Amino acid sequence: MLWTCLLFPSLPLDVFARARSPDDAPRAFVVSGGGRYPRVVAADATARASGIRNGVLVSAALALVPELVLRDRDAEAERRALAQLATWALTFTPMACLAPPDAIVAEIGGSLRLFDGLPRLVARLVGGAHALGYTARVGIASTPGAALLLARAGHTQPVTDRALLPAVLAPIPLVHFDLPGAVRATLREAGITTIGQVAALPRDGLARRFGSAIVDGIDHALGRAPDPRACFVPPPHFASRLELPAPAHDAEALSFGVQRLVQELAGWLAARGLGVVRLTLTLAHERHLRQRGMPATVAPFAFGAPARAPARLLGVLRERLVRVTLPASVETIALMSDETAPLPGRNLGLLPGDDVVAMEIPLRDRLRARLGDDALLRLVPHAEHRPELALRTTGVGQASSAPTKQPRGKGRAASAPPLPDAPRPLWLLPEPQPLAHPLATRPWVLRDGPERIESGWWDGNDVRRDYFVAATPAGATMWIYRDHRHGVDDGEWFLHGIFS
Amino acid sequence: MAAASSALASLLEHPAIWRGGDVAPEPAALPSGYAALDAVLPGRGWPQGALTELLVEREGIGEIRLTLPALVQVQAQGRDVVWIAPPYRPYAPALAAAGIDLARLVVVACRTPKDALWAFEQALRAPECGAAFAWLPTHDERALRRLQVAAREGRTWGALWRRPGQRGSAIAAPLRLGLAPHDGRLAVHVLKRRGAELPGPVLVDVGKRAAHY
Repeated sequence: MLWTCLLFPSLPLDVFARARSPDDAPRAFVVSGGGRYPRVVAADATARASGIRNGVLVSAALALVPELVLRDRDAEAERRALAQLATWALTFTPMACLAPPDAIVAEIGGSLRLFDGLPRLVARLVGGAHALGYTARVGIASTPGAALLLARAGHTQPVTDRALLPAVLAPIPLVHFDLPGAVRATLREAGITTIGQVAALPRDGLARRFGSAIVDGIDHALGRAPDPRACFVPPPHFASRLELPAPAHDAEALSFGVQRLVQELAGWLAARGLGVVRLTLTLAHERHLRQRGMPATVAPFAFGAPARAPARLLGVLRERLVRVTLPASVETIALMSDETAPLPGRNLGLLPGDDVVAMEIPLRDRLRARLGDDALLRLVPHAEHRPELALRTTGVGQASSAPTKQPRGKGRAASAPPLPDAPRPLWLLPEPQPLAHPLATRPWVLRDGPERIESGWWDGNDVRRDYFVAATPAGATMWIYRDHRHGVDDGEWFLHGIFS
Repeated sequence: MAAASSALASLLEHPAIWRGGDVAPEPAALPSGYAALDAVLPGRGWPQGALTELLVEREGIGEIRLTLPALVQVQAQGRDVVWIAPPYRPYAPALAAAGIDLARLVVVACRTPKDALWAFEQALRAPECGAAFAWLPTHDERALRRLQVAAREGRTWGALWRRPGQRGSAIAAPLRLGLAPHDGRLAVHVLKRRGAELPGPVLVDVGKRAAHY
């Protein structure tokens, strides 16, 4: 077993800052705790450069940097962020566990081959967290407890050999070890400040004095006792939202935030082995407008085939976002999966270079995103004698993506309804056109027919027609009929199709 | 002597070389299914990766039927057929009877010519699309050049249909055919091709297939 810990030291900051594009002009930004005299909990690089440290009073920080951007710490958002990160970590391993408040641990021993070895995997983990907008620090060891300690101590060198653990962990200060504050204070007063010193103490005495938790913690970290952890299970539906640092006025400005959410979505899809078919992007407007009853702008998306690759998701969303008109500026964006379908992963190629796959957005998705859902038609023949009803069109996405959802019964005959043996034209006129005039000037030659079609008396659209294939004097072939609906034998002639 | 001439012949096979009186070899062509037509088309078929302009003198002369065998073949290769802004409703039962796989036929309805032009370009560029037909009135030379480049890059057979009364464009498409009725058959006039001019039209019998739709 090989465990990696992903520690997010600036999580309180990142949950806010990640909605901000890195291209934006940097402004000093801090997150403050609650209470009567709030203190700075986390400060970004710009704030730190101005001399603001964690733990100083907010009033002092404001004195240092008057234009400071200040947000209250949002513990709920941090919890949600950690869950999102754990979901994303499942892209790399089947086993990831939460280590609140600011870390996750994941077993990566089984994933090394798939991701081309430890250094590349670690680079992908850190790079992926960065793409999601989080700063991650990594610790790697053969036990989860040791990985956590190494990450907190900033020891980035992997320790894969369990025999080396006691020596590596010994100098790590006790502040990185999860202990009740009182215990830590007592130990410090006794001159015990490192893990090595605790491990050297007599076990039974230590357990009697401080409870078994401290002894177990040491045993777990050193691998002397098993350390069972609850695996993180990703939620059954994806829903994530992002508060924008400043209200966005056009779709273009939203695209950065959407990109973050799409990265999360892709992680969730990969963790669950799914592809998304339909999803909804909700753009909530500013609070004062919301309170006055302005509904959020909702943009639903549909994909022609289950999609997972971020590039593809993003490509379609961008095309669609261009068409969205915003009635007001947007404060919060939320992404939600409405329908998913299993999408198996790819096996690695046997030879290097085998597994290069073009990440193109399918044409149908692109066309639909730009032209609208109703612009793409798929023709479905329908068992019906009336020619104008023997054809159904469906949106391209519905039928292909959700085969289980097709209507049952007689309308279902997408495969092949019995076709009439008589000739049928390739073009059908949307409405039959009266032919009286052209026929009067120069006669057409009837070549095939009549074919009587008489149907539909039950639904009010009854027809009684004699169809003929007719050659026009100019050499074209048309499909015409004589309308006998009114019972007269010399009914009018209509043009209905073109043998193109 | 024989060895020398065969060496010369192999040299002349080079795609960059073509001789007058002959048709230029096309890198890839899609057999049209009509031997008489294939014989006069460069590469012995519809050019894959280029624009074909089809001028229809009159609708209802078998102009679409002329292309169906090639479309069936495109679909058999696992690629889609895209029809953009067709003038009438494509009639599913007849298409199915002709062997067209309706699941691989995408019909795009466009509100504006600009949308249609965009969709045509996207279809031509898309690797999954093997043949894209568009009924477009456009004569914008720049747009047509773009389309030609898109067809080449996507290795897609792009057909630009001109309805009766619409004139053709002077440039852009390397292959331009005029379709007219001739005594119950379809006369294909090769108006422009990469190769020597053709004196008369090619008569193609597409009517036989029609009788049993």
